[in-house]
Amino acid sequence: MTAMTARVARAPARRVWLAGPARLLRLELRRNPMPWTLPLLAVLFWVSTYRPAMSNPPLWNVRGSMLQAQTMLTFAPVLAGVAAWAGSREGRRGTTDLVTITGLPRWAGRLAAWAAVTFWAEVAYLAGVAVVYGITAHQATWGGPLWWPVAVGAATGAAACAVGFAAGSLAPSRFTAPLAAVTVFLALGAGAFALQHGARATYSQIWPLNVQGAFPKDSFGIFYPFPPDLSIAQLMFAGGLGAAALGAVGLPAVAGGRWLRAAAAAVTIAGLAAAGTAVGLAGTARLEAHGIVIPALHDAASDRPVRYTPVCSGAGIPVCLQPAYRAYLPEVTTAVGPLLHELAGLPGAPTRVIQVAVTSVQEGPSNGIEFGPPVISGTPPVLYLPLSGLTLPGEGATPAGFAGAIQDNLLPMLNAFAGLRAEPGSGVTPRPSGSGATAQLAVAMALAQDAGLLTRIPPGTPVAGTAGSVGQSAGSLPPAARAQAAVANRFAALPAATRHAWLLTHLAALRAGHITPAGIP
Amino acid sequence: MNVEISGLTRRFGRTLAVAGVDLSSGPGVLGLLGPNGAGKTSLLRMMATVIPPTSGSIRLLGIDPRGYGQRRQIRRRLGYLPQNLGYYPSFSVAEFVEYFALLKEMPAARVPAAVAAAIEHVGLPDQARCKLRTLSGGMLRRAGIAQSIVNDPDLLLLDEPTAGLDPEQRVAFRALLRDLGQHATVVVSTHLVEDVGAACTEVALMDAGKIVFHGTPDELTGRGEGTDAAGDAPLERGYTAVLAAARAQPRGQAGTPARTQASAGTQASA
Repeated sequence: MTAMTARVARAPARRVWLAGPARLLRLELRRNPMPWTLPLLAVLFWVSTYRPAMSNPPLWNVRGSMLQAQTMLTFAPVLAGVAAWAGSREGRRGTTDLVTITGLPRWAGRLAAWAAVTFWAEVAYLAGVAVVYGITAHQATWGGPLWWPVAVGAATGAAACAVGFAAGSLAPSRFTAPLAAVTVFLALGAGAFALQHGARATYSQIWPLNVQGAFPKDSFGIFYPFPPDLSIAQLMFAGGLGAAALGAVGLPAVAGGRWLRAAAAAVTIAGLAAAGTAVGLAGTARLEAHGIVIPALHDAASDRPVRYTPVCSGAGIPVCLQPAYRAYLPEVTTAVGPLLHELAGLPGAPTRVIQVAVTSVQEGPSNGIEFGPPVISGTPPVLYLPLSGLTLPGEGATPAGFAGAIQDNLLPMLNAFAGLRAEPGSGVTPRPSGSGATAQLAVAMALAQDAGLLTRIPPGTPVAGTAGSVGQSAGSLPPAARAQAAVANRFAALPAATRHAWLLTHLAALRAGHITPAGIP
Repeated sequence: MNVEISGLTRRFGRTLAVAGVDLSSGPGVLGLLGPNGAGKTSLLRMMATVIPPTSGSIRLLGIDPRGYGQRRQIRRRLGYLPQNLGYYPSFSVAEFVEYFALLKEMPAARVPAAVAAAIEHVGLPDQARCKLRTLSGGMLRRAGIAQSIVNDPDLLLLDEPTAGLDPEQRVAFRALLRDLGQHATVVVSTHLVEDVGAACTEVALMDAGKIVFHGTPDELTGRGEGTDAAGDAPLERGYTAVLAAARAQPRGQAGTPARTQASAGTQASA
């Protein structure tokens, strides 16, 4: 009709070498709705992940967990909605007839469109990962990026795109996109709710926003490698769900020929089987001291401790921490220092403090888990101090609050130092029975007061940690407890040298239960 | 023969849209005329393998399209412009045409030149990089024509291709049709009898799902001569006269074979 301009003739000629599928993908990438949502994703990332991550300790496990859980909680609904919009394109734009009668199987064409949507989604997600990990690399004192949470996050994003795309493709409408976004958001929220309120239903562990269950996110991947068991199951789940959704896109009669549709059905079934298997595997998960373990997926290599050189405080009794916790060495030293000073020189007193991984784990009363307390053991005696489960400065605790929490955790250890035996497996000191135990508890209370772990106890006043054992709360004190508090106050009021001298000579007898409250000066 | 149709019917619920059509066609331009609801679009959609027939047989480019593999073979050599062209507003003209070239499984190395040629054919080289959302209705129609011819089809099916085109473009488009008809079978469904007169070597007139006339434009013109059929042009009068005659016949006899010769390699009967 008119002469072709040289510009048109030249432009496509440069890309002759591109193969057909690559050209199709390139076209879909260029004309994809996902890039338009990148500013929104950036804002969501800043609000949901970047800001919280930067206000948290620069620990790789903390930041990695956020990249899986918090990022995907906000990203996945948007990704599903945009993918549904892209998937419904043919139906909305009335091009169904045109694309149906082309040689390329419609399923293949649809997959190219999904791939483009997913590519941009992954670019957005991985850009966020790069920002957070890049900054963390400059801030962290030890370790390296955790990639399993990132892999699960990326797979969840791809699955959200696949589910949304399938919804848009199979039910094209202008309402499909918002419905898909809302549905995915509610589904993720329901999963989070199930995790919060039903920790015993281990199937819910499979939820893609779950990193290591109730295990504190600042504690895994430090002393032992990140346990990938749950991540592997989650990858299976997300991959299976995505595959099933994409397979469903190829099921309608217009999607392709008999063999192609049979392949789509096989992909759908395989995807559902993979997702179901992953849920089944999650049902066998159990919480152990290093994180969540799924026996069928567990690799014994992840049970081997990570080698590291501890960072230690220089003066007095050394306090040694895992180097990832280097920033908290002053707080920890301040928290344990007075007690170490109080115990110094006594038989069985720690000569060193070493941070350790979780010593034992037991299920807590609600959805949480409880950890074993610090213990003194070995020759020479060492105070093994776990910090797991404590809220670190930056995670919401002030340095003073963090030190207070450490001191609270030391109280059971102090009971044990005085000779009180904990109930097996509970970590809780029993109510003292007999005058020997009463004396032991009174001495433990006195030492705690002098170390600043407890305030001085006015007799007759309800004070936390005085009803029966140090560390336990109480109502009004019964007469026996009042008498016990009076003994503790009396012993605590002694000059430090006097108290120390008495303990040097009587500690063995106290621990053996041979000292009565009346025998305490 | 590129198109061989026998006893073709298509039913939508209780509506019989195509009521037994026989049609054979080789290279050339076949104009498909008829009033609204005559069944032209349904017939074209069956020929385009968009919808299957309810009954009857159809062979396109010598291939039976009932099997998926066979349909793919046909579709690679097929061009189709639907009556209501759907498009992606964010695509440029070149991208839109390239997209369909790729979906038609053209060899990747041939795509750039084919896209440029198709865009040139419809007179849109200056708009090649313009987004479709910025084009006028007539330009969109031309972009649609470009996507239908990008694979140099052996069978080209155009449903109301000149709707929205300005007179200058329509003249150019008729020349394009004549050119394409040299080696391919082009079926053009239209309301505009002047397009048929100027570009088509054959005419089939449909009414009530049947072909009531098939012949050359001159033959259709001849049907109107000596009658008081309405129309401003001889071809229009022929069109009106054939329709009036078909509707005057008792039910069941409409569509008596009107074919007098098959000079263009096209035969039809109903």
